[in-house]
This record gives sequence, structure tokens and C-alpha cells, in this order.
Amino acid sequence: MDIQYQGENLLPGQLGQFFIILSFGAALLSCISYCFATRYKEDASWHKIGRIAFFINIIAVIGIGSSLFYIIYNHLFEYHYAWSHSSRTLPVYYIISSFWEGQEGSFWLWMFWQAVLALVVVARGKSWESPVMTTIMLCQTVLASMLIGIEVVGERVGSSPFILLRQALEAPIFSNPNYLSMIADGNGLNPLLQNYWMVIHPPTLFLGFASMVVPFAYGIAGLWQRKYKEWLRPALPWSLFAVMVLGAGIIMGSFWAYEALNFGGFWAWDPVENASIIPWFTLIAAVHVIVAYKNSGHSYFTATFLVLISFVLVIYASFLTRSGVLGETSVHSFTDLGMYWQLVVFNLIFFALMVYFLASRWKELPITKKDEETYSREFWLFIGALILVVACVQIIATTSIPVFNAMFGTKIAPPVNAIAHYNKWQAAFAILVLILSAIAQFLKYKKTTPKIFYANLLASFVVSLVVTGILLYFTKVYTNFIYVLLSFGAVFALVANARILGDAFKGKWKLAGSSVAHIGFALLIIGALVAAATNKVVSLNAGGSIPIAGFEEREKPGENLFLYINQPVEMGGYTITYIGDSIAMPNIYYKVNYERKDEKTGKVIEKFQLTPNAQQNPKMGLIGTPSTRHYITKDIYTIVTSAPKLDDPQEQEHNHEGHDPNEGYEEPTTQLVNIGDTLRYKNGFIVVKGVNRNATLQNMPLANGDLLFALQLEVHAVTGEVYQADPKYLIKNGNSFDFAKDVEEQGLRLRFTKIAPNKGMELMIYQKPLPEKKWIVMKAIEFPYINFFWCGTIIMTIGFVLSIFRRNKELKGKIV
Amino acid sequence: MKKGAILGIIIIAVAIAMIISIYTDSSTYATFTDAQKTESEIHVVGELNKTKALYYNPTENANYFAFYMLDNNGTECKVVFNGSKPQDFERSEQIVLTGKMVGKEFHASKILMKCPSKYNKDQVEVTESASTNV
Repeated sequence: MDIQYQGENLLPGQLGQFFIILSFGAALLSCISYCFATRYKEDASWHKIGRIAFFINIIAVIGIGSSLFYIIYNHLFEYHYAWSHSSRTLPVYYIISSFWEGQEGSFWLWMFWQAVLALVVVARGKSWESPVMTTIMLCQTVLASMLIGIEVVGERVGSSPFILLRQALEAPIFSNPNYLSMIADGNGLNPLLQNYWMVIHPPTLFLGFASMVVPFAYGIAGLWQRKYKEWLRPALPWSLFAVMVLGAGIIMGSFWAYEALNFGGFWAWDPVENASIIPWFTLIAAVHVIVAYKNSGHSYFTATFLVLISFVLVIYASFLTRSGVLGETSVHSFTDLGMYWQLVVFNLIFFALMVYFLASRWKELPITKKDEETYSREFWLFIGALILVVACVQIIATTSIPVFNAMFGTKIAPPVNAIAHYNKWQAAFAILVLILSAIAQFLKYKKTTPKIFYANLLASFVVSLVVTGILLYFTKVYTNFIYVLLSFGAVFALVANARILGDAFKGKWKLAGSSVAHIGFALLIIGALVAAATNKVVSLNAGGSIPIAGFEEREKPGENLFLYINQPVEMGGYTITYIGDSIAMPNIYYKVNYERKDEKTGKVIEKFQLTPNAQQNPKMGLIGTPSTRHYITKDIYTIVTSAPKLDDPQEQEHNHEGHDPNEGYEEPTTQLVNIGDTLRYKNGFIVVKGVNRNATLQNMPLANGDLLFALQLEVHAVTGEVYQADPKYLIKNGNSFDFAKDVEEQGLRLRFTKIAPNKGMELMIYQKPLPEKKWIVMKAIEFPYINFFWCGTIIMTIGFVLSIFRRNKELKGKIV
Repeated sequence: MKKGAILGIIIIAVAIAMIISIYTDSSTYATFTDAQKTESEIHVVGELNKTKALYYNPTENANYFAFYMLDNNGTECKVVFNGSKPQDFERSEQIVLTGKMVGKEFHASKILMKCPSKYNKDQVEVTESASTNV
């Protein structure tokens, strides 16, 4: 029996689903037409169809996005995507983040950027348009297939964002035609993603990923059309663009990790992070080798191979993060949406494309048989690229351990200390790359006179030694030999490139881009090194914790600090006081005051407040967001790791319908008392003043023969207040009753329950548990010189922009 | 000899060194019984014994968290973690511990947990909303 469901708004979903099919069909048609247009150049109609189909594809992609946004924005929880990624309480700007929280939304983002980039190719590609667009549209077709979500021969292809909640899940409520009215709210956005970086980091990252298809497509087009040398020229600015955007996107991710995540750092070598940095490394290597080839004719194959493999690695990265293969090795990855094999196929298609064209054109490739000169720039650029590739192989090998496990059925676990494992290798590669980026700047293409080279190098070398010494002295990174070498490498790269930049100011402007980018990279490494090597946990083992026998001696001391409200604690040179919190639902901001005093005079020299916040998410528990005090030379980072649970107001109401009238009180104490006795209670003492035999009851007239007694008590609180209380005891018709008296301010309930002749009167004291003192557990970390890291990033990006302008100018000057 | 050949040899040497390094650094997924036999740090996969209470009392020690875990063979062991209780620990479905046995306790240096993610385990939470009595 079909159920007629009420209140569902099915139109946007149907429209969206239509646009998905349309985008898939249009992309496929465009791909095929462009392919024929490339083969039959005389027939202009193929080219025309290709273009029209591409424009339809763009419209369809925008249509998908608009439908999905409409659904999320209007909280149409009949759709699974809106229900699982957003909620009514979500502010509008985070609705944008919830758009790409799911896999489907991020695939859409990729398609959207790819369409935008393809538009640029169509507008400016000229003779390259048809072959390049063939590959881009092939990729667009595959991406659209990821969203289709229909069954083909028993296998579900893709996962549609427009699937209805009742189609996605099986639950008894869906037998109710009016089920929608019972779903009050969606699951909401993961609190960790409720951060402004999450609004712009994913689009930037995906623009980076998407733009990598363009150099790849040029590479395939070049091999396909046998224009072996020509394709590198337009591919170079595109590669620079991709490297710049992807680099910026990755660093934004580390900004987000630093500001919103609780692992206390900016880079953790998580498989998901690695997956995005691998193609970045290979494309950077590619850029260097393309430049070398353009100037010397050497390293053609390496350049082509690196450009092509970079995009294949982008697809591999999305396989790693989206297929669920990483399993327990990563905290960030998606779980499988049933697209495991589809992602594998995506990988294989583009890998096969690369292998086919490289193999079939192998004999025609313009590879020189000559050996490079040792004193030439191209040789050392080539070496640098090789080192980057080897560095990549190391990252891929360790990150792919779960993939090997899946392939060969082995059960190898990743290194226990992954960060140390990666750092050990990557530090060595970074040293080599940095030193090469300094040396290569003093070499000329083809041939350099060794004498001049060494003379130039020596000056920079000496200056670098001095600067490194100063740097080490101030940042205190001299504890480890590798750190010292890495610092020297970075400073050397900095000094050498600064010198080239100096020449640029004298008029050699075209050199500016590369030197600025290298300076940025060197600064980034210095910042990362110093911050990672010398960051110290300020809240380390500082009082407030009782060592557990046999535990803390062996292990590192605890890093979490316990704070009661208004009780100052000394920690790492600061006096820290938790002074209260303010609530702006759903976040709670914990106010923590930091004070630093002059050791001798005791005068406060510095005072500031940090407000780390936490969301007590009913589904995910306490999720902390750090608050950071920024200085020029360091950051102080503070995060709340534990706090008392907020009372749920609904639960308290339940208690009122309680069955036991004494609920909420602790076990009572029962004592026999006489006049003049003093009794203790938690918060003070009670004095028995006397017994009133003539007491009356408010609502109950006394009959003859009834006996009523009232016990006159005086409650003295430690804070000085005095309260009167008179619990009563009634004997009526041979039965006894008692009337309790509450002193609510003190959380007391007093019952007069019996009279024992000649012994005294029985008094029961009920007490509420003392209201708990507020507390938090926090962790504070000092990151010295982290600003170098952020500065370096910005400078590096500027360097890329300069280079793009330069290569673009070359392109116009020579080809147009 | 050509420079290319020398380079090739160097790269192969580095690659071999890397592979050896990865395999010496890598560890194995083990059970608590295996952990008893070794001194080195290993990974143990299992799930939280939800019938036993978690122990985390920050007022006493903010850096001591203890719980009972069942490994994949069903062996139970007390686990002690030198830190605060990870967020949402009670709801974890699977736990991966890194650490080693100290006496009868497993001292974890790292806890990784898989929670019922919003992507795979959907449970519609039905709450009464105002419009129920339509």
C-alpha cells in the first residue's frame, strides 16, 4: 500500500535530481563532441555541439546547487541531506558550511569549480579548446556520476543529495503519513565545523583540486595532438595557479585546525592532510621542471610525468578520504557511502589515460640524450624536483598502509608515533630542498662559471651562518642537530632569495615571483619548526592534581589543569583564575583571567582574559573551541577539555512529578533531641529551642482528643543568617502524622517524627547535596613564533601571484 | 658513469631505507593478551565495556581517566589514560588504543575512537513538536 505523505515539498528534490541527470548527460555529450571536434577539425559542428552541451552542463550544475541550497536553507527535513547536516538553530553563514559537510556537497563544489575553470579554457584556449575540454568534460562526467544515486544492474551508482529521509532510512515512523510533523529538527552541523574557516577553507581547497585538472588536460592534449613542446607554455601559469590555490587551501585548513580543533597544533600528519599535500608537492616539483625544460630542453619526461601524476594523485586523495578505506587511522575521513568501487574506477580511468598516452607516444617524446652540466640551474632544479618526489613517496607509502592492508589482506598498523615518523623523514627532505632553493638561484641555465658561482654563494653562506646563530639563540631551537640544520637551511634560502629580490628591485623584475615565493616558504618552515619544536604546555602538571600511584612517575606529567571558580592557580608564570561563564546558546564561553606579575615587586604587569568556548552538544558531548592570545612573538592557546554537565531543564521538570516527596535530598539523619541541644548540618547548626504544645495547623481544625506538638528550631547558617522552623507532630485517633518544615535557602527539610517519652523527640534532618562549585579542566599551550608560519604562507602566495603574472605575460607575448 | 645512473642508485638506496623505516616504525594491531607479552607500544582495537562505569573525576585528578575495554577476542582489561576524558567517549563504537601494558592495566598514550557518525548510523530521533496533534 502506498502511503500518501503529508507536508512534503518534493519539487526542489525532483528538480535537483533532474539537474543531476542533465549535468551528467550534458557533460558526456560535451566530452564526446569535443573528442570528435579534435579528430575532425574541418567539421565545425562538433565543436559547436561540444560548447552548447558544456553550457547546458554549467546551467545544470548551478541548478543542482540552487536546489540543494533551497532545501537546506528552508529546513526541508524530508530530505536526508538537510536533516543530517543542518538544523533550525544554525546561523545562516553556517548553512553554507553544512552545504559541503557531506560528500555530495563537496563533490558538487568540485564540479562547480571545474565548470568555472572550463569556462576560462573555452574563452581563452583557442586551438587548445577541443582537446583540453575533452579531458575536463570526461572528469565532469565522472563527477556527475557520483551524484546520480540510481541503481544500474543492481549496483547503486553515486549518492544523490536529493534522497528523501524516508528513502534513506528505515524507521517505524515512516508508516505514519504525517511523520514529518514529528521531526522537530535536523541533526545539525558538527560543532567543530562551526567555524568561519570552514566557510572558506573547503571552497579554496576544492578550487585547488579542481584547477589541477587543467594542466593535466593540457598534458594529455599535448601528447594526443603531438604538440609535445607547445602544451607546457599554457600549462605553466595554470599549474602555478593550482599550486597557489591548493597551498592557500591547505594552510587555511591548518588555520582551522589551530583555531577550532582541540589537538593543539596546526599540522598532525593525519592521512586526510597528507592526501591533500601529496599532489601539491608533485605539482610544485612539476612547475620547477617545466621552467627547467623551457630554458634548457632538459627533463621533458619528468615535467610531463609530474603534471599528469599530480592530478591522478588528486583523485587518489579523494579515494583515500571518501571511500572509508582509512578506517581507524584517521579521525577526519568520511565513511563509505557505498562508492568504494566507483572511486577506484575514477582513479583507474585517469591513471590509464596517463599511462596510455605516455606509452604510445614514448618514442616521439623530445627527450635529450645529453647529460646536464653540473654547474647549471636546470640540473639542480631537476634534483630538487626529485627530492620532492621522494618526499612524496614517503608520505604516500605511510599514508597508504590501510590501502595495502585492504589489497593484500595484511594487518599492519601505522606507526605508533606518526608525527615523529613523518617529521624524521620530511625534515631531512626539507633541509635539502631549502638549500637547493638557495644554491639554484646563483646558477645560470646551461653553464655557470664555477668561480663566480662560489664567490656569490660564499657571501650569502656567511651571512646565513650569522643569522642562523642569532635565530637559534632567540628561539632556543639548538637542542637538536636536525633543528639546527633545518634552521640553517631555511635562513640560507631566505638570505639567498632576498638577495635575488634585491636584484629585482634594481630592474630584473621577472625574478621577483620565485624569490618572494621561496622567501615565504623559508619563513613558513622557520615558523613551523620553532612553534612545533619549542611549544610548551603551560598547564603542565601545575598543582591541583593528585598523582595516581605509579602512573605519573613513569609517564609524562598531565597536561590538563583543574580550576575551581574564583580559585587562582599558578601556572607557567601566570596566575590563572576561572571567573565564570556566559552562555550564548549553543556555546558556553568560559572566562579565564590570566595575570602575570613582576617577580620582585609583585606588581601586575600583564592582564588579559581568554574565553575558550565549548558546546555541550547532546549528540556529541562537550566540544571545545580554543581561545588564543596572540602576541607578535608567541601565542597562548587555551582550551577547555572538561566541564560539569549543564542541567537539562527538561529533566528537572520530570523530577517534580516525583513519587517520593523527599526526592532530591540525601539520606536523612535521625536523632533524639531535647530542648537546648545543638545539632550540626552541612552548612551550619540547629538549636532546639522548645516545644509548643498549643500549635495550630493552617488548614486542619483540631478535633477533641487530637494532640499537636511543634518543635521550635533555630537554624544558624555559617554565613550568619538565622531561620526559624517548626516541624509539627500530630496524634489523631491513635494514628500519628508529621508535617515537615523546609528551610529552602539552606536546602534543609526537618521532620518531627516521634515522641519517645523520657528520652526525647525524634528529629529527621534531610539535606540537599551542596550546590556543586563550578569548575573547568583546561589545557594551555604556548606556541612561540608561530606568526612566521602565517606570514610565510601569505608571502609565498604573493610570490605565486607574481609568477603567474609573469608567465601569463610570456604566454601573451609569444603566442598571441 | 653518467650522472643519471648515480642519481638512480642514490634514489633507490633512499627508497629502500624509507621502506625499512616504515616497516620498523609501523606496529601491529594486537589483543590485550599479545600486549602482555611485549614491552613496546602497540595498537589494540576493541570496544568499550558499556556495562562498567567510566572513571573520570576531574576534581580529584584532571589527568586520570580509566575505563574497561573488550578487545576483539573479548578479553577485558582496565585501561588508564593520562589525560582528560575524550569528548563523547560513552558513545564510541570502536576504540583504537596506542600504549602498553603496565602490570594488569593498559596504559594508553593515545585514544582514537570511532563514534556513530552522522554518515553511517542514522537514527531518527522523534521528538514531540507542537504540530503533532494535527
